[in-house]
Amino acid sequence: MTTLAIYSNKGGVGKTAAAVNLSYLAAQTGAKTLLCDLDPQSSATYYFRIKPKLRSGTKGFIKGGKQVYKSVKGTDYDNLDLLPADFSLRNLDAAFYKLRRSKKRLKKILNPFRVEYDLIILDCPVTISILADNILNAVDYTLVPLIPTTLSVRTYRQLLAFCQKNRYAVDRIYAFFSMVDRHKKMHKELMAAVAGEFNGVLQSFIPYLAQIEKMGIHREPVAVFAPRSVASKSYQNLWNKVQETMLSPVRSDLGR
Amino acid sequence: MLKNLQYKLPDGYDEKQFMRKLADQYPIKKEPTISERFAIYDTFDWRLFNKSLVLYGCGHKLFLRKPAKSMSIHAIEITSVPVFIWDFPDGGLKRHLAPILRMRALLKLVEVYSRSRPYRVLNRDEKTVARLVYEDFRSSGSKNAPTLGAHLWLKPVKGYPKHSRILVKRLAEAGLTKSKEEDIYIKALELADKKPGSYSAKVNIQLDPDMRSDEAAKVILRFLLHVIRVNETNIEKDLDTEFVHDYRVAIRRTRSALGQIQYVFPAKTTDRFKKDFAFVGKLSNDLRDLDVYLLNEATYKAKLPPVLRDDIDPLFDHLRKKRSKAFQKVISGLKSKKYEKILKDWEALLNQPRQDDGAAPNAALPIIDLACKRIYKKYRSVVKAGNLILETAEDEMLHVLRIHCKKLRYLMEFFSSLFARKKINVLIAQLKKLQDNLGDFNDLCVQEEYLLNITKELPTTQRQLKKTLVAIGSLVGTLGRERQMVKDAFAETFTDFASPENKKLFQELFASQIQPGQAGTKKD
Repeated sequence: MTTLAIYSNKGGVGKTAAAVNLSYLAAQTGAKTLLCDLDPQSSATYYFRIKPKLRSGTKGFIKGGKQVYKSVKGTDYDNLDLLPADFSLRNLDAAFYKLRRSKKRLKKILNPFRVEYDLIILDCPVTISILADNILNAVDYTLVPLIPTTLSVRTYRQLLAFCQKNRYAVDRIYAFFSMVDRHKKMHKELMAAVAGEFNGVLQSFIPYLAQIEKMGIHREPVAVFAPRSVASKSYQNLWNKVQETMLSPVRSDLGR
Repeated sequence: MLKNLQYKLPDGYDEKQFMRKLADQYPIKKEPTISERFAIYDTFDWRLFNKSLVLYGCGHKLFLRKPAKSMSIHAIEITSVPVFIWDFPDGGLKRHLAPILRMRALLKLVEVYSRSRPYRVLNRDEKTVARLVYEDFRSSGSKNAPTLGAHLWLKPVKGYPKHSRILVKRLAEAGLTKSKEEDIYIKALELADKKPGSYSAKVNIQLDPDMRSDEAAKVILRFLLHVIRVNETNIEKDLDTEFVHDYRVAIRRTRSALGQIQYVFPAKTTDRFKKDFAFVGKLSNDLRDLDVYLLNEATYKAKLPPVLRDDIDPLFDHLRKKRSKAFQKVISGLKSKKYEKILKDWEALLNQPRQDDGAAPNAALPIIDLACKRIYKKYRSVVKAGNLILETAEDEMLHVLRIHCKKLRYLMEFFSSLFARKKINVLIAQLKKLQDNLGDFNDLCVQEEYLLNITKELPTTQRQLKKTLVAIGSLVGTLGRERQMVKDAFAETFTDFASPENKKLFQELFASQIQPGQAGTKKD
């Protein structure tokens, strides 16, 4: 069992698209996969044509157990289930604050799913508050989409500094370039520079493509409605890298 | 876990019409039909079937599951279909099957062609809320092949129970009834005229206590002849070593029955076939010996110190060559006129109607009496021989005792249907323990001698030969130590078998019914 967060402290970087496509590709390999949509905007939930509704909302969510378990919906694809988002998740931060051991609640909520699923992917909202602590405490790996722009790289540095300060294992944080425009000279230069600066940058990137935006129209993973497109192949490459670096070989020090 | 429901299709079920009607309530999306071919495997003696397992391949995958269950216990990728357990890739499936298949080859029993046509039932967001899958099975790929079975699956989607409940109602209204999951495997075999579990080398004979002894003997011998014939036809294919083995055991049992079920046939007949079957048995002696050495190759190697393990290879290469010659000898033996005549005459004898004139003295005796008498007598000789060994500790006597035990075992198996099953099985199990000890001792003696003698035959160059001889010497040493251990265990094993409790049970089952001067007492 592996848990993976698709996370960024900057918005609009392609988190949800990555989460939806990676979870679909994971399920296609036969791994029982659960995608948790933690974003109150519920885009991932929308992509799978599922109603954004949790039983008893955030209240039920933070309580964990049966209510959360019963909220899970099967997607249209084998081996892939979704824990839908709910608009009330916008209060998740505040709800965690009020609790004891407030930084480790999410880990506890996900516990019952660890038996049933081989892979749990979290689609996270933009945050660097207590929800971020919860996410980093709950997962084995974090994958950060990075647009090759100065601001995006700057926020990534902030994240790594935050992790170092709070003693989250930085070597379990990986990044990949997202929304890359290969015609832009600056994108190319930044990618080369950043690959040298950080350790965990995957050798695979997602270009800026209209096909990916069309997911909103088709409400399906790219590989379903355009299996032979560049977009689909890019996600397949990214998934291969994720598998290589995070899922196999199985690291014995996991399952903390 | 959500359960998939299987539905039987009513006569005249019209899929198009049903889906059209359902489409009034739900948008339905038809998916492409999937055609697959499955091949089902088992050993000749149904080892997997007997353990309630189904092994089947589809594409580059191999699955193991329980009958009538759709969840597989193991699923692995394969490049080619394994025949023997040592062909399997290491892993869970291999570990699961190893103790079951042992040395037997997997045979492809039957092929099944499946077609499935999935329909997605959608809600207003065009999200799948349930699936309906029409599925049928045929015994060949052609469209006109007879259908082995067809049904409709309702596969609920997690989180949408309301829709599944509605669909259950709609299916019932359309006349579809829930069916238990039945295994297509059994049906496919039936159509291919194969009966699961139909072959077993174990003696499985039902006798009536009041039967005449000559008739009962014929029932037993006919069963053995059947085993001989079934295996005989497969020996030539050389699929695995056990066809020869089962064949030989049936020959040995036949010889034992001829000798032990005494005076039921005219003396001339008995004598002739005793000799004939001794000849038949000898035909495959060499082949079986070589098979055993080669089957044990890995075990022998494991007994050697690692530095010598490769040095023994010339020995096994030599044995393999000998084996292929021995095999040819058996094949020509089985095709010889003499062999054919023996078996033909034997078959004729077993099938000819009873002739009352010149009948043998025990021919008309109720079989229960003869069975009790023979078993009890044999039991006494086993105990007597065993006690003698405890006193004298002679190796030759161990061999004599082994033969006595074998005869007793065969008698008890032939006649087991005449006695309380639980009780006789307890005694057979006890006897088996003693036989295992004696068998191990004998095997080790024979192997030591064989290995020492074979060195003369090894056609290797001088240098290699020396190394091989060292390895063989080391192996013989190990076998000798093992033999001593087995011998040391004899006294205790035998004392267990000859225990007062077993003696009482033997008397109760077999001696209480023999009353002096009154041969015809019936079992109650």
